[in-house]
Amino acid sequence: MPVWEDGEILKAIKVLGQEEAAFNQLVQKYQERLYWHIRKIVISHDDADDVLQNTMIKVWKSIGNFRSESGLFTWLYRIATNESLTFLKQKKKRSMGNWEDFEHMISETLESDQWFNGDEIQMKLQQAILKLPEKQRIVFNMKYFDEVKYEKMSEILGTSVGALKASYHHAVKKIEAMLGDD
Amino acid sequence: MNKNHNKLDLKQETLKKQPFGVPEGYFESFADRLQDRIREEESVKVPVRRLDSSTRFRVAIAAAVLGVALISYSIFRLTTTNSITNGDYLDMAVLEQMYVFDDEQSLYELIKGNTEELNEDEAFAAQAIDYLAVNDEAMVLLFE
Repeated sequence: MPVWEDGEILKAIKVLGQEEAAFNQLVQKYQERLYWHIRKIVISHDDADDVLQNTMIKVWKSIGNFRSESGLFTWLYRIATNESLTFLKQKKKRSMGNWEDFEHMISETLESDQWFNGDEIQMKLQQAILKLPEKQRIVFNMKYFDEVKYEKMSEILGTSVGALKASYHHAVKKIEAMLGDD
Repeated sequence: MNKNHNKLDLKQETLKKQPFGVPEGYFESFADRLQDRIREEESVKVPVRRLDSSTRFRVAIAAAVLGVALISYSIFRLTTTNSITNGDYLDMAVLEQMYVFDDEQSLYELIKGNTEELNEDEAFAAQAIDYLAVNDEAMVLLFE
């Protein structure tokens, strides 16, 4: 099946009778990239699946109001990031009674994740990343793993390029320090 | 999990590899599961047809025109019909109160302002007025 261009998807999604097929194209095209972005934030596969579904439903409901000034993927990435952060906030709120430390809980999730295929060093790196503040963690993941350019990241996260560079620099220093302590 | 005891250096390319996995066939089945969930959600809610911006603008203009017309008509009606004044309402309130406290006397007699014996026609009128006096709308008739 040929992959549609973003412009074709956006055009077809506004045509009565074609919207489902066009939305399906959008899902097929972006589901993997969005999933990995979400997964690195929420860690567990089941949670990532929930958040990805919520993200796509939000996209389906609001794509009629999408203005093409920002690219489609930038817009999708932004929704996925917001949905992931909202999900973590809710989870944090719900878990207050059971876990003294949310960071500890999410770290345990990582250790018990049956879908973690990395080696010991990758596990240590992930554990160190989880100790970063949420937004710094997102910046680090986007830059280090996904190699997203600062300009693009700035559009997605609504933060200046300078602040993102500083954030990434701090994240790297913290991770190196944490791993040096081991 | 594989064992790898090398020292951790962020510049190592192997560290950048995706360490997470997904159940087999996850991405292949995701779109179908999503469509099912969307259908389920939409069957629960009343479907809302999304209007494009030009239609929304026309609907907004029509609503505004209709609103202005309704307000104008209401003002016109208020200024041209015999409305009940505050004084009338005060009179009605006094009459109702008197009627409540003095149920021996007919409201008709109160309005007429006399306490003489009523003839047959007047007694019927008095009964009718007393009956109508049970609600405010009927009371309005007394003052028109």
